[in-house]
Amino acid sequence: MPAQIDIKEVHWLLDIVQCIDVGVIVLNRQYHVEVWNSFMENHSGLGPDEVQGKALFSLFPEINETWLRRKIDTVVQLGTRAFSLWEQHPYLMHFKNYQPITGQEDFMYQNVTLLPLAGATGDVEHICVVIYDMTAAATHKKQLAAAQAASRA
Amino acid sequence: MIPLVVCDDSNMARKQLIRALPPEWPVTISQATNGQEALAALRQGLGQVMLLDLTMPVMDGYETLAAIRAEGLACKVLVVSGDVQEEALRRVKELGALAFIKKPADPEILRSSLIELGLFDPAATPTAVTQTAVLDSLKVNFRDALREVTNIAMGRAAALLAKALGVFVQLPVPQVNIFEVSELHMTLTDAMHGERMSAVCQGFIGDGIAGESLLLFHDSEVADMARLLNWQPKDDLETSEMLLDLASIIIGACLSGIAEQIDVRFSQGHPQLLGQHSSIEQLIKLNQRRWKKTLAVEVSYSLEAHNVHFDLLLLFTEDSIKRLTNKINYLMN
Repeated sequence: MPAQIDIKEVHWLLDIVQCIDVGVIVLNRQYHVEVWNSFMENHSGLGPDEVQGKALFSLFPEINETWLRRKIDTVVQLGTRAFSLWEQHPYLMHFKNYQPITGQEDFMYQNVTLLPLAGATGDVEHICVVIYDMTAAATHKKQLAAAQAASRA
Repeated sequence: MIPLVVCDDSNMARKQLIRALPPEWPVTISQATNGQEALAALRQGLGQVMLLDLTMPVMDGYETLAAIRAEGLACKVLVVSGDVQEEALRRVKELGALAFIKKPADPEILRSSLIELGLFDPAATPTAVTQTAVLDSLKVNFRDALREVTNIAMGRAAALLAKALGVFVQLPVPQVNIFEVSELHMTLTDAMHGERMSAVCQGFIGDGIAGESLLLFHDSEVADMARLLNWQPKDDLETSEMLLDLASIIIGACLSGIAEQIDVRFSQGHPQLLGQHSSIEQLIKLNQRRWKKTLAVEVSYSLEAHNVHFDLLLLFTEDSIKRLTNKINYLMN
């Protein structure tokens, strides 16, 4: 990406963030939602107007608050990225499987990346949450494990 | 008054079209649901002008145009169709159609075409009359509406396919059914006559409507497809990629055509090759535990003069049906 982006090209970037097939959320330090892309909108059924300025934990009670706060605190303090993998933590938000008819799992397994976003002062004022659909990998890994277990038995 | 025949198998299409007519155009409308009915109306002198669909059961638009010419019936025909292939346009013009208007008909375009052809003079007839009685009597059900929405969407997909392959795509009337998931399996198994198939699957979700698109390829025809695309796939890997590319064109065009009409933006997952050289049961492992019913839209494309068919299935989840119904109702009224 060029270091300097022409203002005319900003709409491309917005389009990319909107249409890319991963979840993109930007939270402020109070965990209020500021950016919500179409992946988030379509899988959660909540439009940007319904989540804007609302606290993430009140929107999604299934999120383990203590767990996420601990991760995000580190991101903010150290300015480093944090990750969550589906093997340890199957999902951040409970979404249905992207392949609702042929998919064998009921929900979407997710990997999550937490990115620090620094403001003009250099302090981390926002956090970007990126959500990846890992259901296919999870299904295969579980099937493989089941097959190995069966061959040992 | 000008006697006008509106011929389309879909109630919704006729309703949309009658609503798009210039309100001050003095016409008496007769309706037909296929070419045979249209010809009967013309023989009775009910059609000085006809608005004609192409994709219809019993007798399609091309056959109707040919019959009009063969019988020497005096009727000015404007084709209004979702089949927007360039070749379709060329063929209907050759068969004597005066204009080709793409569905859903834009009132402005319809108006200017009628004026251009000298069929309507806005200066001569200043009083506007709405065809209230005709419109009210046209009842549109959900299935009919979804069929028409799909029809327009698959027409666009066919136009892209025609361009990519340099062929003419024959479009049937799409089937819309609500299946028990177990029935779906049976129906597919029956339809494929035990052939070896390959399938590409892609999930979509948007605005509370979720489902999967499945595109089925017959293995026996894959070599012909490759020839049309000018590809020489060396192995299964390259063949897979060819199928994925083709599937992206067809699924992408069809879904975006539907999305645009019902005003939804779908997120689409990565396409997945479900399997190659397998029977239907092996390919599609349906999740029967989760779903009892599914809304299935089936479209079969065949390529003229080639032994190549694609079967596209759009499967909507049971809990999407209500939302989809609302969206479609909005279109109908």
